[in-house]
Amino acid sequence: MHYEAPVREPLVLGNKSYHDVTVEVARPIETAPPRSWWIAFSIALLLFLWGVGNILYTIGYGIGTWGLNKTVGWAWDITNFVWWVGIGHAGTLISAVLLLFRQKWRMAINRSAEAMTIFSVIQAALFPGIHMGRIWLAYFVFPIPNQFGSLWVNFNSPLLWDVFAISTYFSVSLVFWYVGLIPDFAMLRDRAVKPVQKHIYGILSFGWGGKAKHWQRFEEVSLVLAGLATPLVLSVHTIVSMDFATSVIPGWHTTIFPPYFVAGAIFSGFAMVQTLLIIMRKMFKMEHYITIQHIEMMNIIIMVTGSIVGVAYITELFIAWYSGVEYEQYAFLNRATGPYWWAYWSMMTCNVFSPQFMWFKKLRTNLIFTFIISIVVNIGMWFERFVIIVTSLHRDYLPSSWTMFAPTSVDIAIYLGTIGFFFVLFLLYARTFPVIAQAELKTILKSSGEEQKKHHSDHDGHH
Amino acid sequence: MAETKKYWKGLEELSGSAAVQALRENEFASELPVDRFLSDDKNLNSSSTSRRDFLKFLGFSTAAAALAACEAPVVESIPYVVKPDNLVPGIPSYYASTYFDGSDFASILVKTREGRPIKVDPNPQALINGSTNARVQASVLSLYDTQRLKRPVVGGAETTWNALDGKVSEAIRSATASGKSVVLLSSTVNSPSYLAMIEQIRGSYANFRHVSYDALSVSGKLDACEKFTGLRALPVYSIGDANLVVGVDADFLNEANGQSLSGEYGKRRKPSASMLRHVQFESVMSLTGANADKRYRILPSQRPAVLAGIYNAIAAKAGQERINAPTLDGDWNKVVAKTADELWIHRSSSLVLAGGGDYESEMLALGINQMLGNFGKTVVLKYRNRLRTGDETALQGLANDLKSGSVGVLILDRCNPAYDRPAMAELLSKAGMLVGISNHLDESASLATAVAPSHHYLEDWADHQPFEGYFAMQQPVIRPLFDSRSSMESIDRWFGLGSKSALQRVKDHWISTQFAGDSEAWNRFVHDGLYIAFDSIGQLSEPALVDGMASMKELSLSSNSAGAKGLELSVYSKAGMGTGRLANNPWLQELPDPISRASWDNYLTMSASDAKELGIENTTQSNGALNGTRVNIKTAEGQVLESVPVLIQPGQAKGSVGLAIGYGRTKAGKVGDGVGVNAFALLSGSSLNKHFMSGLSIEPVEGEHEFACVQLHHTMMGRDIVRETTLSDFLNRPAVDGGSGWNERTQFETYAGPLTADKANLWKDFDHSTGHFWNLSIDLSSCIGCGACVVACHAENNVPVVGKEEVRKSRDMHWLRIDRYFSSDMNESVAEEEGVSAIDMFRQMEDPSENPQVVFQPVMCQHCNHAPCETVCPVAATSHSAEGLNHMAYNRCIGTRYCANNCPYKVRRFNWFLYHENQEQFDINYAMNDDLGRMVLNPDVTVRSRGVMEKCSMCVQRTQYAKLEAKKAGRPLRDGEANTACAQACDTGALVFGDANDPQSKIALAKKDDRMYYLLDEVGTQPSVFYQVKVRNNA
Repeated sequence: MHYEAPVREPLVLGNKSYHDVTVEVARPIETAPPRSWWIAFSIALLLFLWGVGNILYTIGYGIGTWGLNKTVGWAWDITNFVWWVGIGHAGTLISAVLLLFRQKWRMAINRSAEAMTIFSVIQAALFPGIHMGRIWLAYFVFPIPNQFGSLWVNFNSPLLWDVFAISTYFSVSLVFWYVGLIPDFAMLRDRAVKPVQKHIYGILSFGWGGKAKHWQRFEEVSLVLAGLATPLVLSVHTIVSMDFATSVIPGWHTTIFPPYFVAGAIFSGFAMVQTLLIIMRKMFKMEHYITIQHIEMMNIIIMVTGSIVGVAYITELFIAWYSGVEYEQYAFLNRATGPYWWAYWSMMTCNVFSPQFMWFKKLRTNLIFTFIISIVVNIGMWFERFVIIVTSLHRDYLPSSWTMFAPTSVDIAIYLGTIGFFFVLFLLYARTFPVIAQAELKTILKSSGEEQKKHHSDHDGHH
Repeated sequence: MAETKKYWKGLEELSGSAAVQALRENEFASELPVDRFLSDDKNLNSSSTSRRDFLKFLGFSTAAAALAACEAPVVESIPYVVKPDNLVPGIPSYYASTYFDGSDFASILVKTREGRPIKVDPNPQALINGSTNARVQASVLSLYDTQRLKRPVVGGAETTWNALDGKVSEAIRSATASGKSVVLLSSTVNSPSYLAMIEQIRGSYANFRHVSYDALSVSGKLDACEKFTGLRALPVYSIGDANLVVGVDADFLNEANGQSLSGEYGKRRKPSASMLRHVQFESVMSLTGANADKRYRILPSQRPAVLAGIYNAIAAKAGQERINAPTLDGDWNKVVAKTADELWIHRSSSLVLAGGGDYESEMLALGINQMLGNFGKTVVLKYRNRLRTGDETALQGLANDLKSGSVGVLILDRCNPAYDRPAMAELLSKAGMLVGISNHLDESASLATAVAPSHHYLEDWADHQPFEGYFAMQQPVIRPLFDSRSSMESIDRWFGLGSKSALQRVKDHWISTQFAGDSEAWNRFVHDGLYIAFDSIGQLSEPALVDGMASMKELSLSSNSAGAKGLELSVYSKAGMGTGRLANNPWLQELPDPISRASWDNYLTMSASDAKELGIENTTQSNGALNGTRVNIKTAEGQVLESVPVLIQPGQAKGSVGLAIGYGRTKAGKVGDGVGVNAFALLSGSSLNKHFMSGLSIEPVEGEHEFACVQLHHTMMGRDIVRETTLSDFLNRPAVDGGSGWNERTQFETYAGPLTADKANLWKDFDHSTGHFWNLSIDLSSCIGCGACVVACHAENNVPVVGKEEVRKSRDMHWLRIDRYFSSDMNESVAEEEGVSAIDMFRQMEDPSENPQVVFQPVMCQHCNHAPCETVCPVAATSHSAEGLNHMAYNRCIGTRYCANNCPYKVRRFNWFLYHENQEQFDINYAMNDDLGRMVLNPDVTVRSRGVMEKCSMCVQRTQYAKLEAKKAGRPLRDGEANTACAQACDTGALVFGDANDPQSKIALAKKDDRMYYLLDEVGTQPSVFYQVKVRNNA
């Protein structure tokens, strides 16, 4: 069995037996949801329906219902798209990269992080669709044989790369998530007493029998998928950043974008995981599994990636000055001091300054503080995308075309609608799926459980 | 010879072997196994397809094909029973005609497709006014205005022509019987047939008289001309023979006198040693002033003082008597003396033009021109200008008669006094009977008892004599759309002149008077649209000059009113709206003003310092749109105009404000109603002629006005966008001189040495060395920013009108825009000298100078040969042509807008909504939203659907058409055969289009010009559109 040094903090608190783990993970699924769940779900559902209504209105009347204009052709649509894709990054990073690096602490959080990834990628994928003027022709972006002869997609276009990047990322994440869910679904199936439930979980668990061969295949597939997903963590946001980096617009045309975007994505993704898990551990009483140590680990990642993003911001400013290109220089000066200065400084405050508090152990182990910072970070990351997209476009080369952008109620409704949609999915998930990868967690219970660890060290002491 | 040439398929054929012979005999190389197939009973019987089945299939497919062929829906179209000879579907026909609406005059060619006029083009054969300004270009759309008056109206109810004619004739008879007068009030009329008809009426009705007036009166000017020439007519100006033109409040590029001067002006503004220099004194920043080399800001009341100052300075040099002139302040004396010196140098090749319509200013201008020896050179008195003949005194007389109730019948023909002489509105009803002849039930016609709908000019016959001895023919190009009638015919019937139709009257007049029965000459006249009654200029005699100078001393010039209290207001006309006759034309309403770049509005233009003092603000909203304070205006005479928005206008003289006429219509139709305020309401008495008034009081009121400006930033922010140099540099220094020339390309340091952006690139270049290579050159020295090209593009390319709200949201759809930049007091060298930080420098750069220099830059799709838009479209909807054009495949576009974002020139336009067949949202755009309006659409250009990106195509439909014509004729395409709508409409010759691969073409020469440069060359886009450096004559 895996041995872990006694100096390492335990990952599962309390004196948990395997059965305790099973019962506690299955509890939210097997009991009726509390009133707080219903309230949260109703709010999310209303937001979602409001968003759907506004999306239909947009499709019915045209993109003119948004606040865009001839100069600013993208604003909240693509800001939201990049924001949601960014949020989606933490899940794969946690499950794939941390798996490869054998980081056991991921086991308590990877299921929900991956769920978050999938749900946020769904939100993200919505925007490139609805931002099209003619969404009913969206299939034109797929390289499918057609009756038009040699008509083919334009492989030079980063927007096309996006199509491939997002769809690959979504499918790999989904498979990875699902593979991990199989043993847990089997556990639910075995515990289910209602026939319908048993039947559904039976189908979902693909006839899992818990045999040694099953476990061996499970491990192998997980490892292979982790290997596949790891480059995707880097590639997706790299490609999203190329939407901007390959253009000629000052403020977009920047080679630093790929690493800068990836760091930002991980930054915002972890913040979103924090937001969700802090609520969930409280709601489902999972403090023993998602411990302060988990929170602290993630805070450290937020602090590091936040600092990377800060360095990127400063590098951009330096390069703009150093390049000697007047358009570039003005673009960055305009960001910081122009009419959208408030967006730039919101971004700077939220993304660069606020994570620096995490240098203090007291703060990074404080739940309330962490929760606030996690939300602040995602506000900041939304502003980052807004700053990049809108402040670059609104004043580009020819001053005659300079203008401003203001969102309409439809812009706002669609954005809030996706937040509603995300929470509808997440709340449903939390009541029907095992929110902790209990099968995996059980593998470290004996080595990293609090009581077990104590017992070990006592035992060691006798020798 | 061709028939002796012989080819063999092989050696066997050459040697003539038997086998080859046998093969040649047989159609099929091997025997077809027909017999074997038919004799194979077993196989045939086992086949599931029997003969009967075969017949069934045959029958079904024939029937299906026949039925499918019958399915084609026929929507409201009537096929020709007998096709007219010269009408081929898909092939346009052109007819020469003439536009004259009482203020604008143009000789035009009307393009018709399948019998409907769709475009107005300039008539290149015309010697004078053969150009089309924005208003003339847009006039075709007004033909299809469903709000035109459709049937005769008597007492507010539609009726028949007979009923109307009976009623009017009866009224005329009873007025005559009771000794009351019958008056015909019209705008300027110069039609020989019409005037002959009036003479005829006068012959038989002693109580009849004709009064004409001009909306923006120049009556005083005409009186001044009478003093000099004995004739009440303005002279014709020959600006092409001038080396120096001095405009004093004269907006001559906007056809203030009716004569179009922009063409000659543009040609003479091409830089050379003898380039025309232009000095302007004015209060409102006019289109003309914006183009001046030197522009001085004066108060409108200083106009006579400045002119008198120049007069006296010239008089001193010419040994003429001085006149009593109001005194000028110290600095102005220097300016005036300097201007006079310059004028004296250019004796007999200079031109002084006075603005306004008042007697004093024109007297002084004529006096100066005479002393300078400009008469007969730049001021040509013998071609008298007949485009402005209105007489304010006569109009005043009519007003008095109306007051006294002595007018029995008042007939209004194509004039709208209730709108442009609001003081007359009440008086009109005092006539025994008011009769209107009008296109619309406008402000005046709606007051009339009987309204006779008149034809649109494209439905009507008329002749014109715009200049002495120079005639123009207006022929209809379509049958009347409604139950309207030519005004000439209406008047004829009312006065019982024999019920001649307009055609009969015009034709009879010409064949009997001018052509002495020569119907061939008549045909030629109709065909050309022009007739010049003299063989050479010499044949027309100079009028005998009356001693105008003698009257000079009698001039009483009001003293400089600088000490007077309150602001001064001058009224002016905008390039888009003119006098407001076409206010219901959405193309013109949407055309941004060349100076303020605001559309769908008029406003008080005010200098920044006055605005500050009065607490008036222009603010930018969160979506970039402009808001402004509203004010109430009160004139010294007591006229009040409420809730007038104020736009802070750089270049406006401090202490003065300007307000455009042509707006504030109340009965123009759904497009023009309620747009802006009516500036005519402020004019009365002497200001009718002076076009300004003093002692104005202004008081800000509650509420903000929402402007619809298409340009919200007015300076170039120190960027290399419009290149400009001075004439002395242009003449004396090289364009390229190791980095210090006046037209250098940006060089990049690379491993291969310094390279320009087009050489330093990673992409594979398109090969444009063969075939056509369509290029467009834009000369920034010649472009005056008039906007004719913008409207021409609208008409040619079915560009949608989106309305004020959408323009305000920066969603105008113009494929071609004319950027206007003001100079700023701040630039990099000033910042360095004064130690201003970069942040403050850029902030101050956004503010234009108080009296800025102005540049105009038409920008359309630059058709980049390395187009940033082409690489980013995911579906390849925009791609490059072998002829150097950037194409848009509308059907393929899914509307991601990535191309527009990545366009450095921001020329791509997105269909935010459905702009056609969408009455609900865009009913003001009747060119696309009602059945009649859609007749104006160009069938060669797709109407774009919602969600699609669109942009300038360089009129690809025209180049394709020209190429096919050349191909059919079996000859290479000639230079000039293919032309874009914008270049065709450009009167100044600023736009030149052509095939740069044709070494003899104008465009190929332009491309080699020293002044040629690419906009944003350093981005590496390699455009097919290029610009020519603007040269300012600093002499």
